[in-house]
Amino acid sequence: MRKPRTSHRVMVSITALVATIVPPIVAFHWSRLGWVDEHQNYPGTPSGYTQIVNRFGQPCSADAHAISMKWRAADNGVTYTFAFHKKLGGRPTAMVSDKGGRSTNLDNDVYGHIQNQHLQPYVEHGIYGYACRAKRDGSDWSTHAFGIAIDVSSAEEYMGKCTSTVNENHAQIWKSHGWHWGLSFCDPMHFQYATDY
Amino acid sequence: MRRAYVLIAGLTASLVITIGLMAATARTSPAPRPYGRALGPALPRDSGAGEFLLAVVGGVYDTKGEAEQANAAKPFGDLQGFYVVPVGQFQGFKQEVGKPGDFALVSVFRTQEGAEDFVELAAGFGYAATILPERVRSLGGLYAGLGQEENPDGSGPLVAPVRESLP
Repeated sequence: MRKPRTSHRVMVSITALVATIVPPIVAFHWSRLGWVDEHQNYPGTPSGYTQIVNRFGQPCSADAHAISMKWRAADNGVTYTFAFHKKLGGRPTAMVSDKGGRSTNLDNDVYGHIQNQHLQPYVEHGIYGYACRAKRDGSDWSTHAFGIAIDVSSAEEYMGKCTSTVNENHAQIWKSHGWHWGLSFCDPMHFQYATDY
Repeated sequence: MRRAYVLIAGLTASLVITIGLMAATARTSPAPRPYGRALGPALPRDSGAGEFLLAVVGGVYDTKGEAEQANAAKPFGDLQGFYVVPVGQFQGFKQEVGKPGDFALVSVFRTQEGAEDFVELAAGFGYAATILPERVRSLGGLYAGLGQEENPDGSGPLVAPVRESLP
């Protein structure tokens, strides 16, 4: 039987060492930031207008803007404050104070993932949430009126642009937390917690 | 033995069909409506004729073309911002603005909170917007954004006159 070569042994040792050390370092890094993806109490993502109303209430209701959070744009340093629906955040966690919300979705989980994966440089200026307004050039209520839509990097990722340059870096995080990305209808700034509307 | 196989296959098939039917029924059952009946996705095109409204103004222009051009240069992201309307559809508008021009960028509201929220929204996009100091009387005409404000009771959009807006 052949003995393993020294280089092979070294490789195995290094791999074992990395496999042992890296997870605690990552865990320590996250714990220092006080963040865990809680994933608590997410509402189902509604499809179409009727399901949106059934799940989140009427547009422009008090619940639609019950929770607010701050988010600093990486490019110009401006901190935006925006409101959103109480079912999409505001539940107390290590990172978020109790705002009377029901879930950990937006202000803890999505935001925390973007920070911890060091994707904040791809959050640029123009960050907006709740607004009791109609869709642009239309007569239907915008998902912003329900507090279930967030515009991110809106100057760079303007409406009508069918490609993405910055939001593509964190879009997957939104999607994996129930959000639908507006790139599919050429609105790459827009993330909404609903489909088919 | 063969009969037993046929029996098992039949039972399995009926089980699959039953589960399929139950799933299909569950998917199509009416969803509960904890928030009452949906208003419908389309805003009512309410001009508020006869009401006294608060007008938020983004600019006044000589022609409709100029006003539309100016409005196109003031996008509110994917939201509707100002509406281009003839100033003549609001009684008292010209006197309050004190600036000549037949068309204006406007959004009208019934409550002070609604008007202030819109001014804040416009400021967020970097646009100046002014609430006229006195309410103007709507004579009808084009839709100018009425109804896009919160009902003070928190139930949804304000779609009816309030005490301050009634003559």
